[in-house]
Amino acid sequence: MSLRFGILGLLADEPLHGYEVKQRFENMLGGTWDVNIGSVYQMLQRLERDGLVEPLGERGERGKQPYKVTEAGTSALAEWLEEQESQPQLLREDIYVKLLLLARHTDGAAPRLLNRQRRVYLQRLRDLADQEKAAREQGRLELALLFKGGRLHAEADLKWLDAAVDALEDK
Amino acid sequence: MTDTIVELTDVSRTYNGASGTVALDQVTLAIARGEFTAVMGASGSGKSTLLNVVAGLDRPTSGRIVVDGQDLSRASESDLARYRRTRIGFVFQFFNLLPNLSVLDNVMVPAELAGMARADARTRGRQLLEELGIATVERSYPTNLSGGQRQRVAIARALINRPALVLADEPTGTLDSHAGEQVMELLDEINNRGQTIMLVTHDVNLATSHGRRILTLSDGAMVDDTAIEARRGAKPADLVRLRAGEA
Repeated sequence: MSLRFGILGLLADEPLHGYEVKQRFENMLGGTWDVNIGSVYQMLQRLERDGLVEPLGERGERGKQPYKVTEAGTSALAEWLEEQESQPQLLREDIYVKLLLLARHTDGAAPRLLNRQRRVYLQRLRDLADQEKAAREQGRLELALLFKGGRLHAEADLKWLDAAVDALEDK
Repeated sequence: MTDTIVELTDVSRTYNGASGTVALDQVTLAIARGEFTAVMGASGSGKSTLLNVVAGLDRPTSGRIVVDGQDLSRASESDLARYRRTRIGFVFQFFNLLPNLSVLDNVMVPAELAGMARADARTRGRQLLEELGIATVERSYPTNLSGGQRQRVAIARALINRPALVLADEPTGTLDSHAGEQVMELLDEINNRGQTIMLVTHDVNLATSHGRRILTLSDGAMVDDTAIEARRGAKPADLVRLRAGEA
């Protein structure tokens, strides 16, 4: 859904063609999402099919077709923005499944292996803090908040890992 | 060859006799000059005890500890006192400034205790206040300063004797996040100029944002030692990815 409404939100600012959408979208997300141009065109077609965007004027140079948001698109966007997020939290990283299996298959090595994972998270926290700081220095508060979100998630993963090591050592 | 400034070999500290509490459990550790090391761990993990033995405030029950060439395990009480005064700079959570002395006088105290002439101590103190951005408050008293300013004064005081090692125990613990960040950036700057720093914190964000090496203690034992680096070229998409639901 985030790509769908991300594109809709950008087109609500001003009409854009597919490649511009891709560039603006990636820039908005500060390089955290490399979006496939094919996915953008596909999404624009779906949005058009659903009556949320429409082609604006004729195709320009090299066949570039700008799109603009329709009235239905504007209200769909407003509705989505006001809606509360109530999806279940995604815990689909390999590490969670790995932990479930480590305890069964590594014969006491789980705490050591988890400690190695811990180091990865420590470095990640550093990287995210650097990115957050850089975004803040560029005056991009919303992007800094995105990295802060990443940092808080990494911090939670680290706490979870510590709890897992403690629990497995006491077992 | 790296220049080792702190070296612990099998250092243990137990309280209340042989069957008592183990605060440090055979810790072996070498810290190079110029490092910024963060010591992490839950409360009771031994991180403050580690700092105290490195500071010469506490003696190990067993093991050897050498700081800046001085064997603390063999030092006499008076040697230890001199060591603390001249080789170590402390930054505490609660600042520990003297309320009835002005900012400048607070900063000068350790220099005078170490035998520096008052005029020299004043010159050096002013220079530090200038460097730390608090020159304008040199005549103020600690109670009239913000928490962040007080901690800067405490940092100036810690630096006045050009210590071999700065030890900071939860230096941002009582500060709001903005003031805390400024204090940490100051410590970064000081470290960039070559000052060795050991920071004790329970805050993993603080440790990873500023430390270059993270030591983790648990039940008195060192359970992890991780070097981290500032990777300027790290690609955002390799760190965070928003990919839920392209549909």
